[in-house]
Amino acid sequence: MSRVAKDSVGGFGRHVPALSSALRPSPHDELREWGGPPLVRGKRVLDLGCGDGRLALGVAPLATRVEGIDPDPEAIAAAKRNARKAGVRNVRFAAGAAQHLPYPDAAFDLVILSWTL
Amino acid sequence: MVDALVEVHRVLAPGGTLVDARPDSRVQAYAERRKPRGFQRFGVVKTSRLELANDRASDHVITRVVRDGLFERRRSGRFWHRVPFSDLAELRKYLREHLRFVHRAEWVVDAATRKRHSNDQFVIRRAVRYELLEALRSPRNNSPARPD
Repeated sequence: MSRVAKDSVGGFGRHVPALSSALRPSPHDELREWGGPPLVRGKRVLDLGCGDGRLALGVAPLATRVEGIDPDPEAIAAAKRNARKAGVRNVRFAAGAAQHLPYPDAAFDLVILSWTL
Repeated sequence: MVDALVEVHRVLAPGGTLVDARPDSRVQAYAERRKPRGFQRFGVVKTSRLELANDRASDHVITRVVRDGLFERRRSGRFWHRVPFSDLAELRKYLREHLRFVHRAEWVVDAATRKRHSNDQFVIRRAVRYELLEALRSPRNNSPARPD
C-alpha cells in the first residue's frame, strides 16, 4: 500500500506551529489506513501517548469510550481543553506512565500507539 | 519499552487489537514544491541517526513481544503523509528545529531553482507505517516477557 494522506492541516499557505499534532496525519486518515471505522466502532479504546488528544478525540464518535493517557501533564491539560471545546463526553484523559497503566485487566478492546513507540 | 507492552497486553481483552503507528524511517522523506498540478521533488530528507536507532529499538520490542507470545501480527502497511509549509524558509526552519530528520535536506535542484521558488508552498512527504497486532490469551511459552 502506498497512498498519500490528504494534507494534515487542511491546506497550504499557513504557518504550521512547531511540535504540533497538526504535523501528523488527521485521525480520519490514520483510521482509514488501519482498516476504517469497524476497527473502532463500539469498542473500548485506549490511546497510549495521547498527547493533546488528537487521535482520541478523532475516534471518540465511533467508540463506546476512549481513555487517553500521556506522561506530559501539559499535554493532558490541552487534551481536556480540546475535549471540552469539542463537546466530546465519552473521553477521559489522565497523566500517567505506560509502564503502570491505571486500568483493570482486559479493560480495552483496542489500544493505539500512534507515534508513541 | 517491553514492560509497557506487557502492560498493554494486560489491559487488552484477549483477541483485542494493538495498533502501532509511527514514521517509517526505512524509506526516505522528500522535500517537494507544490505546483498547480502535483509536486516537484526538490530534495531528500534523511532521518537522523538517533531516530533511526530509536526506530530499530521499537522494532526490536515488537519482535520481542510477538516472540514471547503476547501478540500476533495481523496486518501491516504504509501510507504517505504530507506536512505543508508556507514557503521554503518554513520548511528549513522545521528541519532545523526538529530531531527526527537531519537538519539539512539533500537538494536535487540547483541553488538558482531553489531561490526562484523560495516563496512557493512546500511539503515534506514522509512515510508512516502501521501494524495491527492481536492480543493472545496467554503467552505461548513458559517464559513471559520481562523488561529489558
